[in-house]
Amino acid sequence: MRIPILKMHEYLLISIQVELDDQTALQFQEDLLKRIHDTGAKGVVIDLTSVDMIDSFIAKVLGDVVRMSKLMGAQVMLTGIQPAVAITLIDLGISMREVPTALDLEQGLDKLRLELEE
Amino acid sequence: MRNMINDISSNKRDVIAQKWKNELSTLKNLCISSKITPDMFEQLNEEFLDMMIRYINQNDIEKDQTLHRFFDKVLQLNMPLKFLTQGLQTFRRVILDVLLQEDVKKEKAIDIYQHVDRLIDPLLNEVVEESSLFWEKTVSAQKTALMELSAPVIPVLENITVMPLIGTIDTERAKLIMENLLDGVIKNRSLVVLIDITGVPVVDTMVAHHIIQAADAVRLLGATCILVGIRPEIAQTIISLGIDLSYFPTKSTLLKGIEHALEITNQQLLKK
Amino acid sequence: MSIQSCVEVRNEWDIVSARQLGRNMAKELGFGTVDQARITTAISELARNIYLYAGHGKVCIEAVEEMGKKGLKIIATDKGPGIRDIRKVMEDGYTTSGGLGAGLPGVKRLMDEFSIDSSVNVGTEIIATKWIR
Repeated sequence: MRIPILKMHEYLLISIQVELDDQTALQFQEDLLKRIHDTGAKGVVIDLTSVDMIDSFIAKVLGDVVRMSKLMGAQVMLTGIQPAVAITLIDLGISMREVPTALDLEQGLDKLRLELEE
Repeated sequence: MRNMINDISSNKRDVIAQKWKNELSTLKNLCISSKITPDMFEQLNEEFLDMMIRYINQNDIEKDQTLHRFFDKVLQLNMPLKFLTQGLQTFRRVILDVLLQEDVKKEKAIDIYQHVDRLIDPLLNEVVEESSLFWEKTVSAQKTALMELSAPVIPVLENITVMPLIGTIDTERAKLIMENLLDGVIKNRSLVVLIDITGVPVVDTMVAHHIIQAADAVRLLGATCILVGIRPEIAQTIISLGIDLSYFPTKSTLLKGIEHALEITNQQLLKK
Repeated sequence: MSIQSCVEVRNEWDIVSARQLGRNMAKELGFGTVDQARITTAISELARNIYLYAGHGKVCIEAVEEMGKKGLKIIATDKGPGIRDIRKVMEDGYTTSGGLGAGLPGVKRLMDEFSIDSSVNVGTEIIATKWIR
């Protein structure tokens, strides 16, 4: 299974709509880094509105993706994390403080634009 | 047996009533309160006796809920449970007195005792059960009310929300606070949430931990959390306990917090 | 008497089936969305541990009732290498797999009751329960 990655101007947009298994998550990591390389995107928004569970493995993959993308010059923003998911992550002891977040796709794009234009 | 009791309770109603009232008069002071007047007490007493006599005569008014309704009424009026338990016990004593005044043989007497016990005991059980149910209901209603009061989320300005915390924060309440807070962020599309701890008496490591977790969760959703209402003594305990709050913006008062929130959201309040 | 459903864990996709089973059961029992997420995540962590460290095992989920409380119990068992130092794996941030080290202590925080029983070269059994609030 592949997660589609959309390109819009200098941004890449991803909306995760499927139950993430380990393989899909790792495949996504690879695909995204390749797309950043190919397109030279400056910003990435990963929307998690439809995701109802993030365990420590997926959290690690997401955190890694953010750091790897940054190394390649792209700022990643996670958006739409649901309250139940946030509470579970906090219970697990994962606060992802270094990962930028926004309420939804729209605000994520606004925040990215602001940060990248500064 | 039944006939005998029936006869006596209807023939000697006056005697029974007199004895009952004498014995229960000691309870009068205990029951009379701002809500219960002496007249009301007399009236309840009368109703109680009347019902008891009907009960032992027919032994089936429990089916039509008359007893049940009476017990309920007494409990609703906040009368002491003693009024019901002692009333029932007194009634047993009085009715036995009256029954045994007749010249009866030993076997017969035992029979009478047992019969009366079988009539009264279920009532005592019902009263106790009823009152504990009543209190359980009251306690759980109060608990719900307290929960609702305990963590309100108030939208004050566009994209800015305030959650004032008042009172001690334990683990259960912390969970509720977290859930209310996050739902509030989603519902109001908040960019900034101010947690006001002016009303929290003590901030120890545990409370600080809960607040940090709430702030972390708010950030995961994509909003910023500002901790406000930090009094001098709270600043002192936080530092002497070695709690690290440096990751979040903190302000001494709600007003300063709102000013900061306006800055973050690119808004300004204008005077006319 | 309780109904128990089990998922054999042999590969990564079984982790997904285990947590789907858990989510459905939690929903059916009447858990709120937050607790559903907690239960699903705990199952995911336990199933992943089995896959990573034992290779093969199973995750069973059952509805439980005790003193008027209703709840859901997760039993994760494997016949893997066992855990040498249980105290160590219950420490936050301890990992031998390069993960976040949030697994077991995290599961303990996600659930209401947690017990772990493990013998080296025999296997591990972890039981965790969540009660409906």
